[in-house]
Amino acid sequence: MELSYKNIAPFLTAGQNKVSRWLSYVGLGVGVLLLLSSVQMYTNINHLIRDKNTRKNGTDFISITKTITNENMGRDNRFTDADIKELQRQPFIEDAAPLKANAFKVSANAGNMIPFSTDVFVEGLNTNFIDTVPDNFKWKEGDEFVPVIFSTDFLEMYNVFAPSWDLPQMSEKTASSVQLFLLCHGRNGDRQYKARIVAFSDRINSILVPENFLAQQNKVLEGVDNIPASRVFLKTKDANNPQLLNYLAGKEYHVNKDKTKFGRVKGVLQAVVSGLAGFGVLVILLALVLFSFYLQLMIARSKDNLQLLLTLGYSPSWLSKTVAKKWIPVYVSIIVAALLATQLLHLGFQHFVTPARGELPIVIDWTVLAIAVLLLALSVAINYRLVKKSLTEL
Amino acid sequence: MQISLQQVVPDFFETGKANGSQLWNQDIAFSTGENVHIIAPSGSGKTSFIHFLYGLRKDYSGNILYDNNNIKNYDAEKFATWRQQNISIIFQDLRLFTQQTVLQNLEIKRLLAPYHKESRITAMAKRLGIESKLAKLCSTCSYGEQQRIAIIRALQQPFDFLLLDEPFSHLDENNRQKAMELMQEEATERKAAIILTDLKKIDYFKAERLLYL
Repeated sequence: MELSYKNIAPFLTAGQNKVSRWLSYVGLGVGVLLLLSSVQMYTNINHLIRDKNTRKNGTDFISITKTITNENMGRDNRFTDADIKELQRQPFIEDAAPLKANAFKVSANAGNMIPFSTDVFVEGLNTNFIDTVPDNFKWKEGDEFVPVIFSTDFLEMYNVFAPSWDLPQMSEKTASSVQLFLLCHGRNGDRQYKARIVAFSDRINSILVPENFLAQQNKVLEGVDNIPASRVFLKTKDANNPQLLNYLAGKEYHVNKDKTKFGRVKGVLQAVVSGLAGFGVLVILLALVLFSFYLQLMIARSKDNLQLLLTLGYSPSWLSKTVAKKWIPVYVSIIVAALLATQLLHLGFQHFVTPARGELPIVIDWTVLAIAVLLLALSVAINYRLVKKSLTEL
Repeated sequence: MQISLQQVVPDFFETGKANGSQLWNQDIAFSTGENVHIIAPSGSGKTSFIHFLYGLRKDYSGNILYDNNNIKNYDAEKFATWRQQNISIIFQDLRLFTQQTVLQNLEIKRLLAPYHKESRITAMAKRLGIESKLAKLCSTCSYGEQQRIAIIRALQQPFDFLLLDEPFSHLDENNRQKAMELMQEEATERKAAIILTDLKKIDYFKAERLLYL
């Protein structure tokens, strides 16, 4: 018969403190549950907000304008080249690009297909700042066709007022297939172009045309070479960076808050969940400390017996491993129970909080499983070291 | 197998106390298969000597070698293996688990490095007259019975040397002889040495060497 914990158990169990042992089990369970469910919530928040914010590859894109006040109303509140260069020099701004507007007048209609005509504005922006740039968003002199990138918000607005003007509501796909005509008027004459929406942008609330088209029309129709921009787009690591916000406020630049709103909500939620995870770690540490007190007490109370076992030829490392191994099933049970509870909470979150099914994966994230395995390994290792240390000190 | 003593003197001995001893401050060796009887009056360091040989204490000068390995250099793991396989002991103060049964006391040693089957425990207990005590708590046994438990416990493992520190102090003549016979049979079976220390000469211990501490 192989020696096991069962053989030495009668020599160790005398006078053990069951209350502190069970308290440490409960504490460990609560701590692990807090940590795992916080990590799961963190990934859920990331998942839910990922598609709705302006972040791309870890970067925020925001647009700024000069704040219009009663004092500066009469002045030119557009950005000069020097303003843009200064913005580009700031360490918290990765890049800045002006959103250049048309100096000529533009009106758009849909020909005979839809009885609709309106004056519009068009703008040009460096394509690196645009979230959706198809290959055909290009224009060269002599082209009769102009590609357009249209704001999804504008399409939504159109679909709101279209029924009351007896106009058809349109999906993105239908809107993309409508042949448009852009009529450009200037001091030096008129030009008409065919146009079509080639992409929709979540990020930029504008009607975008290729930069070179805009520059050429401004020059030809109005004789303007370099028109100052009213809006500037910024590329930054974090749109909520206090340094950035303070700088912009100091310059009296107005930030388009809509586009950073999700970033801020996400930041706050993540901070709350991170706080909970931190609290979970604290509870785990406290539980492990309590458990270590229980173990030390047990070893101290069994000191004479343990010493005699060592004297009789029991190996300290065998005793440490055997005593420590005894708690592996306990740790496994606690951590598996916490994992199951996290899965249940995750399902509850999906059922009661997320509006549409299928937005989140059904199973908890792999990082939660990885953390659970790591915690198990950590608990067993701490336990083993503690027992070995206590036995060595006998 | 050999245990060699090289000029071993307890640290706590006053100068000159080791003079005249046939063991202290001498070069001497014990080999497997021989029986060594050490006679020592009270206070001559008899128990310290046995504890030095078993590696429980290191407060001595000189060296104790087991097959040319200095046991002072053994770590806890090496001592554990050595005590499981090579050396067994009966302590003067017995060192039993008093809150466990007699059988648990014997099994905890037998299971460590089983030399005999479990049934042999019952046979030995019967031979030494404590069979009826096997299921009883050790603390309920008399000192004489506990002495016999300690003797049976020491015989549950393989060994090259069996160390006995006044093993019969609380036994009557009849039980002394029975216990001695059992130990000599077990040592012979293992071709092991017995090193026995006592206050006076024990006639029924067939020793090849008689030494005065």
